[in-house]
Amino acid sequence: MLSLFALFLMDKQLTRLSAVDVLILVLYFAMVLFIGFYVKGSTNTSEQFFLAGREMTAWIAGLSFVSANLGSLELMGWAGSAYQYGILATHWYWVGAIPAMLFLGIVMMPFYYISKTHSVPGYLQLRFGEGARGLSAASFGFMTILMSGVNMYSMALVMKVVLGWDINFSIWVGAATVAIYVMLGGLRSAIINEVLQFVLIWAGAAMIPILGLIEAGGWTNLKAQIATNVGSNDYTHLWSTLGHFKDNPMGINWVGIVFGLGAIISFGYWTTDFLVVQRVLSAHNLRAAKMAPIIGAAFKMAVPLIVILPGLLALGVLRDPHTGALIHLVGENQLDAAHPYSYNEVLPLMLIRYCGPGLLGLGITALVAGFMSGMAGNVSAFSTVWTYDIYGAYMNKRAPDRHYVLMGRWSTVVGMIISVGTAYLVAHAASIMDYVQALFSFFIAPLFGTVILGMLWKRATNWGGFLGLLAGTVSSIGMFLYTSTGTEVHKKEALARIALSPDAQPMAENMFRALWSWLICVAVTVIVSLMTRPKTDEELNGLVYGATAIPSDGAISFWQKPIVWAGAVFAVFLVLQVIFY
Amino acid sequence: MAEGTGRGESLSIWFFVGVMTLSYGLVLLPYGAYAWFGGHEANTVLNNLHTTFWWGLLLLLFGAFYTFKYRPRPGDKERA
Repeated sequence: MLSLFALFLMDKQLTRLSAVDVLILVLYFAMVLFIGFYVKGSTNTSEQFFLAGREMTAWIAGLSFVSANLGSLELMGWAGSAYQYGILATHWYWVGAIPAMLFLGIVMMPFYYISKTHSVPGYLQLRFGEGARGLSAASFGFMTILMSGVNMYSMALVMKVVLGWDINFSIWVGAATVAIYVMLGGLRSAIINEVLQFVLIWAGAAMIPILGLIEAGGWTNLKAQIATNVGSNDYTHLWSTLGHFKDNPMGINWVGIVFGLGAIISFGYWTTDFLVVQRVLSAHNLRAAKMAPIIGAAFKMAVPLIVILPGLLALGVLRDPHTGALIHLVGENQLDAAHPYSYNEVLPLMLIRYCGPGLLGLGITALVAGFMSGMAGNVSAFSTVWTYDIYGAYMNKRAPDRHYVLMGRWSTVVGMIISVGTAYLVAHAASIMDYVQALFSFFIAPLFGTVILGMLWKRATNWGGFLGLLAGTVSSIGMFLYTSTGTEVHKKEALARIALSPDAQPMAENMFRALWSWLICVAVTVIVSLMTRPKTDEELNGLVYGATAIPSDGAISFWQKPIVWAGAVFAVFLVLQVIFY
Repeated sequence: MAEGTGRGESLSIWFFVGVMTLSYGLVLLPYGAYAWFGGHEANTVLNNLHTTFWWGLLLLLFGAFYTFKYRPRPGDKERA
């Protein structure tokens, strides 16, 4: 995040749009606003506004599910990470996503779906009571709206750096557009735009890997060029360098990747973050709800083509067009006259390298669509949790349905205004961005511990769930403070203790902090549950394995079974690990 | 029923995808042709491949297919 801020301070502009680029951008804005007005008539009940009427097909819910996570901040950040750390960044798209998405579809979705909950905090209320729901809803609502502001400011900053646009103009145009289409069309409008955004991102970004591979002369030649330019083979191996922290550019080992990222952070995000789970809850039947994450996983596996590959291509082919010298991108603290570009600029630099007028507009539109979709995802999830789990649960329990729809529309607008405030706050103190993102990670790992025990272990009790979630969250915050405050010597020692190695780099801290906070959450939940009165099977019906008769998902033939497709996706996932080992 | 837009609507979500990509094809294809045949290709790497033209054509075909396949038909609203 700080590197984005550093870019702003450099006050430069990478390119400018031609008339044809502006036309492409205007067409996009016209389309999203039209969609908002068009679907307004189908968002009159709370079910329609907050859950898109629960009538989405598996394909729509699946594309929306994966697209809600495919924001521009993510695209640009991970392209930069691929340049910095090499192909290891792919782990965040494969082992850090695919198993969790398949697990959500096959194991967890039946409970979310048949419990008819409107939200993840809503499931916690059914399973663990008001304490767990209140804690989860308050933290999620607070963090979601802050994230929306961070997203908004990031968009304005990127537009300033790449195109020289005024920050205020970008913030207000982006916020007003998103507020209008989400207020009018609720989740339905957000989902339609996410599907559109998914198509646009591929249409706008696919040119980079295609032309990049042509320029490099294929994948094998690219690997050789990277090895020559970097002086190491480590940047193009997915697993073989993860034996020890010292052996790879990221400073992490396989334990952190497999257990911290793959088992905890990934499962926490993809199975309990309401921003993504809300998309699947909009599915029109149980089979569609199970298939949506599987379809999402299949598309997610392809995303490294447009995110990771551009970063790797830059390592191999990004040269000054005039001198032919290799361009070295650097970290935010190392920018100077000889190194004017940072890691985060790799995607715009590659876009400009291959795309002239027209295609450049399409690429910029893809970035804008990603930012706006990210904001819309946050604000639609916020308005749902606010209306159902805070306002409807604690302030006004018995209002008519239309009142809650109205509250949803107004909370969208108010949420967007708070986001604008956050964006300006971040503009004056860039470090807030890092804290907001860190804060978000505090809740994910413990929440996964609470939800997974709630779904799989009948003995877990209300007090166990609440105190486990609280202990996990507090311990995560404690570890963050322990490793991020004090002298540099203290920070290094703290990191070595948390990650169990003196060679660990900051990236490893996130993984191991997640692992510890999850273990603490699970341990506290188990201990407290064993000391408190269990719920009866009748109370747990529809919420927990062993106390619930799972209804048939309606699959008749072999090819209709979600488990078959999950197996196919997982097989492709395994093959990819072997190919890029 | 129009997929994704609601039980009372006639325009499917895929129709919007089609119209959007068709529009971009209709903008990029002529511009790509002008750049290629008029000698106005931008000074980008591999501009000899005329990517704006070919990508515009691909988007136009993709968009035209989706727009046609998911076009609203008489009676869609009634069936919904």
